[in-house]
Amino acid sequence: MHTMNKLRASIAGASALVALGAAGAAVAQDVTLEYWVYSDFAQGDALALQQEFIKEFTEQHPGVTINITGKGDDDLTAGQVAGAASGDLPDVFMNAQSVGAQLVEVGALSNLYDQWMAMPQEFRDQFDESALAGCMPKPDELYCLPYTGFGSLLFRNLTVLEKAGIDTSTPPATWDDWFAQMQQVKDAGMYAIPDETLVFNSIAEIYATSGDSSTWGFNWEDRTTRIDPEIMTRVLQKFVDMAPLNSGTSRNDQATKDLFISDQLAFHTVGPWVNPTYEEAAQNSGLKYDFVLIPGDEAGKTGGIRSYEMIGVAPGENQQIAFEFAAFITEKAQMARWATLLARYNANAAAMADPEVAALPLIKVSVDAARGAMDVAAPYFVDSVPSCYNSVVIDYASATADGEYTPEEGAKEMIAELNDCLAE
Amino acid sequence: MSFRRYLPHYLMIAPFMILFAAFFLYPILSGFYYSFHDWNGVQTPEYIGLGNYEKVLGSRDFSRAMTNLLWYIALTVPLGILAALGLALLVDSFTGRWANFFRNAFFLPVVLPAFLAATIWRWIYAPNFGLLNVVLGWLGMPSVNFLNDTGTMLYALIAVDIWVSAGFNMVIILAGLKNIPSELYEAARLDGANKWQQIVHITLPMLGPVLFFVFTYGLISAMQVFDKPWLLTGSSFASYGGRRNALLFPVMDMMGRAFGGVKFGEAAAYGFLLTVAIVAVTAVMFGLRTWRERR
Repeated sequence: MHTMNKLRASIAGASALVALGAAGAAVAQDVTLEYWVYSDFAQGDALALQQEFIKEFTEQHPGVTINITGKGDDDLTAGQVAGAASGDLPDVFMNAQSVGAQLVEVGALSNLYDQWMAMPQEFRDQFDESALAGCMPKPDELYCLPYTGFGSLLFRNLTVLEKAGIDTSTPPATWDDWFAQMQQVKDAGMYAIPDETLVFNSIAEIYATSGDSSTWGFNWEDRTTRIDPEIMTRVLQKFVDMAPLNSGTSRNDQATKDLFISDQLAFHTVGPWVNPTYEEAAQNSGLKYDFVLIPGDEAGKTGGIRSYEMIGVAPGENQQIAFEFAAFITEKAQMARWATLLARYNANAAAMADPEVAALPLIKVSVDAARGAMDVAAPYFVDSVPSCYNSVVIDYASATADGEYTPEEGAKEMIAELNDCLAE
Repeated sequence: MSFRRYLPHYLMIAPFMILFAAFFLYPILSGFYYSFHDWNGVQTPEYIGLGNYEKVLGSRDFSRAMTNLLWYIALTVPLGILAALGLALLVDSFTGRWANFFRNAFFLPVVLPAFLAATIWRWIYAPNFGLLNVVLGWLGMPSVNFLNDTGTMLYALIAVDIWVSAGFNMVIILAGLKNIPSELYEAARLDGANKWQQIVHITLPMLGPVLFFVFTYGLISAMQVFDKPWLLTGSSFASYGGRRNALLFPVMDMMGRAFGGVKFGEAAAYGFLLTVAIVAVTAVMFGLRTWRERR
């Protein structure tokens, strides 16, 4: 079975390379591509591997030079929007799918559909279906190639749990099990969880324990929220219940990581990017931790969100060769190396199924987490989400947790205000 | 004839004027032009008259940002100057190595990158175990969520702002203090004036022009506040201003409209309104000063 998969993937990879090589041969003149990546992909080992990809591609495409530049999240968006305005866009770039609509609106992203369809079927079949669907607002529009991604995980501090008398050999199977453990941790004098109401993504992670993608995100046709009032009521009740157990810090605060590392915090729901920090702490200071799926309301259901970073290609005279480079770096062989180096999940399902990659514990659990998780702000590439949207969700979640509203009132008011925000 | 005569002068100021025109005048004028257009930064701007101004002035976020700004200015500018004046007087009372030490120590936050300052303060403000809450705990007081409680967020920002800006203002005020002739203090001492009377009757009047500069500069900076609230609230283009927009300020709102919502026409209108407000406040300040000098 593995041999067949390997063979199929190798054929797909080879076909893709042949297709890319054939198209690349058409590039005779000197071309310089500007390639913008997230800043953490432009340093250390990640940069070295990116440079290796660039070297391999440019060797196959004489005359092509690729300049890689790292930028922070907001700088990527601001630079791409400003670049579209000034006609000085990077040729290939990363960003989050969630800002795709803005980039389409300003003309920073090419519709890659025709080029995509011209690629061999084996190449197209490599990608995770839901990640790819995120790039396609319409059947004949494809604005990105999905790249890295995440499904949120539940990081557990095993020392804290053991001190609280919790058996850590099996992770909590349902929300009720998990909440009971949180209370045990608090009773033992430690913090159970960060304040999940402070950040939009952590609210979404807890919402996903009860809801799913069909009740989250936007109905762009009538500009209303998809949030279900009943589910949100249940979720707000969870925030109320968790309020006395939390550390008061947000999921993203450095202070939260420090509490976890110093054995004062039991659970941290977050993406896999914190793992290098925790891994280092495990080596240096004996942190005992693991990562499991976020439990949902019923056994078998998982919470958490999933989201993908994308590779976009700008319109312009370098568009064809830029697409070829984008296809090259998102192809299985590169994505498998990328995943192995960073131990990070990505949108190339074939790479994730590679036995060497799938054997990595973080990847293994991330694949399951992404499968059961909720899309954080879908559908993408349709319209830009007004900034008031996230603020309203955060405001009502935290105000309800503080007791300013009952969960029913909070859910009702939140949804009404979200609809106003989207309508405006 | 006179043009030829002053040609070298014109040539000498030309580099400045060219840069001023390219990087200051042109952006302001083009911003003014785009403020009357529906424009996403790329497509052809569509003229919509005062539509953008109506949208900005009628939005809830604008009212919230302006209310926050007024409170912020009313507190941070005078408190900042008082802190800087206090520090300057303190440092001025030392000589030699200690004077240098304190001057450098108080100036250090000015050179600290904003993200680093914000990270430090996010730690200090952390609920339950942050430095400030640990101290409150020793005093038997409950933990305060400084950066998420809407009742404390503005004051938390002001404290950071004063911490950062006091060093800069202190250096300017200190330079002003050094310029006050020592004979004035000697004469006052001979007349029996105590330290407080010397400060009130000599130091403050002699520091008038310096304090005017510090006040005006502080006012203009405060009107453009952006990086500290942005970083303290962990803002991004998708979500900014902190809980219930308690730390939403005009420049943040403008940036969000431009890069989060790709509404550059609206952002240009916002920017122009802000520019007019800053110019007006500065003009009033200078007008008041001139009027006072003439009296």
